[in-house]
Amino acid sequence: MKTLSRTRGALLLGSLFFVCSCKTPLAPPEAQQAEVLDQALWRSGASFYAQENYVQFKQSLKSAKEKITREKAKFGWFRDYEPVRAEFRELLQNGEDLLAKVEGLKSSKSKYYSEQTAALSARIERLKQMTDYFNENGPVRKSLAQAEIKLSEAGLLLQKEQFESMGNYLSDSMTFIRQAEQAMMDVLSRYMDRKELEKWRRWADETIVESKAKETIAILVNKLERKLTLYKKGVAVGSYDIGLGKYGLSDKLYSGDEATPEGRYHIIRKIPSSPFYKALLINYPNEEDQKAFALAKNKGLVPAETGIGGYIEIHGGGKDNLTKGCIGLNDRDMDEIYRQAEVGTAVTIVGAVSVEKTILADIKKFEKNG
Amino acid sequence: MKGLTKNLVLVLAIAVVLTGCKQPTQLIDDAKAAIEDVTKAGADKYAADDLKKLNTDLTAALDEVNAQDKKFLKKFGTAKEMLTKLKTDVDALKAALPAKIEAAKNAAIQLQSEAKAAIDEAKALLAKAPKGKGTAKDIEAMKAELTGAETAFAEIQTALDAQDYIGAADKAKSIKEKAAAVVSQVQAAIEKKK
Repeated sequence: MKTLSRTRGALLLGSLFFVCSCKTPLAPPEAQQAEVLDQALWRSGASFYAQENYVQFKQSLKSAKEKITREKAKFGWFRDYEPVRAEFRELLQNGEDLLAKVEGLKSSKSKYYSEQTAALSARIERLKQMTDYFNENGPVRKSLAQAEIKLSEAGLLLQKEQFESMGNYLSDSMTFIRQAEQAMMDVLSRYMDRKELEKWRRWADETIVESKAKETIAILVNKLERKLTLYKKGVAVGSYDIGLGKYGLSDKLYSGDEATPEGRYHIIRKIPSSPFYKALLINYPNEEDQKAFALAKNKGLVPAETGIGGYIEIHGGGKDNLTKGCIGLNDRDMDEIYRQAEVGTAVTIVGAVSVEKTILADIKKFEKNG
Repeated sequence: MKGLTKNLVLVLAIAVVLTGCKQPTQLIDDAKAAIEDVTKAGADKYAADDLKKLNTDLTAALDEVNAQDKKFLKKFGTAKEMLTKLKTDVDALKAALPAKIEAAKNAAIQLQSEAKAAIDEAKALLAKAPKGKGTAKDIEAMKAELTGAETAFAEIQTALDAQDYIGAADKAKSIKEKAAAVVSQVQAAIEKKK
């Protein structure tokens, strides 16, 4: 009986001892806070955005947790969590800093890529607007559409905060934009050639001077500006919007190239009733055109069995029509020109006479601003 | 004998208290490892919402562990239940992941078809679009844009073949959007001509 009481007493003492062990001291709450912080870091993508720091954090966390385990293995009375608690506090501070760094990095990445996306989008839009100036814009618009698609994909990644691949998509978009710019330059580089500009300016000046000297009517067509100017005794008396062919900015070389010729011509026939309302037929090909055609033929630049072409007119039917190389006007404007022009009236067709106020000025500005 | 039984009950009670005092470390580690595994298997791409829920559940379980840890009489039973359930959920997600990947693939293929349909619709509209006054040049530009979209369309299949179903879906969405924009422009051109 006495032995039983002793056993009972020992057990009670033992349980009291264990209860005390559980009570004092408690594991530091910072340990759990660090776990929660680790989750937050993981969720924020710390392993991607600040890999080195995150690995360091994880190692420190592991080491601190091991210390807690070691402390817990001791009898309650001998446990001392203070050193590891201090370690956890430092870890928490570092973790909070890391989280702020990751969030800041993500925010700055988001801002950076948003700005890049917006800049490329604006560049595409501007280039699209420029293509309105010329009909030969197919390759430009094709590349711009591809650039837009890449940019749209980048936008979807931006929404999902998947910045890691965004650079590639923006770079791909930029490649297509550059292709578009190159395609535009392929069409317009001739218009930026100083010698060509001087030649066209000389033709235009001579036409105006002759109109003044001979007191005649003269027609000057500016392809780049898409304008037809009517001169009377050297003075501009009317300016009209025109349309050109699919490849209107190119100099006509042969039949079917859908280009509009450049040179000094004159009206050889007035056609009061044409499929395109009224028409003024010019003397294309002139002597220079024939020389250029022969030279191109020798160089193999003209398809076999293809002639030089002809029947280049100034006609009605609308300025927005795509012609086969002729110069199209709205019917009301055609009436005006038809009324004043005569057989023999000078018709000078130039590419451009100046860079200012044309797409060329825009391109220069565009190149400067990138 | 009666006293011995009482003592045994007491010992058992103390054992229960002792066991209850211990954090379910193994369960926590197992749950974390399981989440990491399922993430690597593609859950972050193909089951992002489910993965987010699992992480939230893990945080809740850890919160429960923390709450109990502060108490004099610790009861980790609920936390253990939460962690066990979490592990079951992770395993379930892992088992369901191939189906989710398959669903993502099917969704990408569906979007590919929709992009193709949008391109075809734009093509058909362009074919019958008025090429007269005020539209001919615009129509040519739209045709060129559609050619660009058609060229990009091939990239969808490349992404599908590379098992990048999210990328394929994004490409398809972007191309569909571009083709739809062309359709709107052509319709506007047709309206302009009326």
